[in-house]
Amino acid sequence: MFSQRRNPKELADEDLMVRVRDGDARAFEVLFDRHSGPAFSLAYRMCGSRARAEDVVQDAFLSVWRAGARYDQSRGSVRAWILGVVHNRAIDWFRRESLRAAPSLEEGNAAERVAAAELTEVTVERRAEADRVRDALHELPDEQRQVIELSYYAGFTHQEIAQMLSLPPGTVKGRMRLGLGKLRISLAEEGVLP
Amino acid sequence: MSDRDAMSETHDCGGDAAAYALGALEPQEAEAFRAHLRECAVCRDEVEALGGVVQALPMAAPQYEAPRGLKRRVMQDVRAEQAGPARFERGRSRLVAAAAAATVAAAGVVAGIELTAGTAATVISAQVSGISGSAQLRVTDGRGELVVNHLTPPGHGHVYEVWLQSGSAAPVPASVLFDVNSAGHADVGIPGRLRGVSAVLVTPEPSGGRPKPTHTPVIVARLD
Repeated sequence: MFSQRRNPKELADEDLMVRVRDGDARAFEVLFDRHSGPAFSLAYRMCGSRARAEDVVQDAFLSVWRAGARYDQSRGSVRAWILGVVHNRAIDWFRRESLRAAPSLEEGNAAERVAAAELTEVTVERRAEADRVRDALHELPDEQRQVIELSYYAGFTHQEIAQMLSLPPGTVKGRMRLGLGKLRISLAEEGVLP
Repeated sequence: MSDRDAMSETHDCGGDAAAYALGALEPQEAEAFRAHLRECAVCRDEVEALGGVVQALPMAAPQYEAPRGLKRRVMQDVRAEQAGPARFERGRSRLVAAAAAATVAAAGVVAGIELTAGTAATVISAQVSGISGSAQLRVTDGRGELVVNHLTPPGHGHVYEVWLQSGSAAPVPASVLFDVNSAGHADVGIPGRLRGVSAVLVTPEPSGGRPKPTHTPVIVARLD
């Protein structure tokens, strides 16, 4: 009852989700303000097109609005859940359109410049967290990072990756396991993961 | 033989956990692995641990703010749904009507003042020449956002580039390139404030953009 009287901006994400489930658009707007940046960044990284990324994020957030009741706090943070919805929407789009972004966006290309105009508004804190995760990813051996990027950002299955790289499927799965295992250690050392 | 040993004999324990956490198993493999997870605590633990790593991967993407127009569109839809399906449909009709009206609006005409999330925006209808579609420049607190609808795509190997013109000076790049989606729509945030800018121009340019316009503007939004 106490949370009903408080300004939504003062509430934790989990409390906002309770309000969203009750159809509170102001609470939803605060969630959007908090998480739309990482959501757009993920969609843009996956789709390689600003227009597509916007469509994916719009679709994802509307899904969050309509299906807020499906959020399960025991399975992770609200941000992780929202970003998971964005990820799934982007994969759906890949499968519908049979299109994927290049596994790694080249710095300075046209698509990058489009979004770079927005870069200055990103908070220092968020950029620092992103740097830690990106550094950990880049410290992986190339062959491990490659299979992780191809599966997570481009939505390829291990069998598709095996075919693409002319590797046995078991090798691809092994590299995924080694890579994620090393990432887990690095991110824990950096304080990103518990 | 323990349950764990029994499961190890019937499934590649741990071998699929990382691929599953990444969503990289084929659908039938994922279904089989989910069944395995119900029985195997070792794999459940590994999926949980690696799942946390996968949840951190979105943050490895270069970080940007969401374009300003995106929030407006999402909240419009949310509020329309909140008001009920009938009103949502009416809202969509109004948007279509507004887009049609913008198509025939004269260049340089301030189409109106609009309130979005409590902030007043001046909406300027832009002239579209040589291609089909409509465009509006929305100015909020000195910041501009170009909204295009039903716009002809720039063509293979090309993008639209935004330019700022001040008086009779040559246009300068706004450092913004954009494409449109399948419906010809795009919301384009213009960096910085529009103080002293007399017109916002758009030209089609080769991918990567150009330091000077190489094409006659196809969109002109006049602020003076």
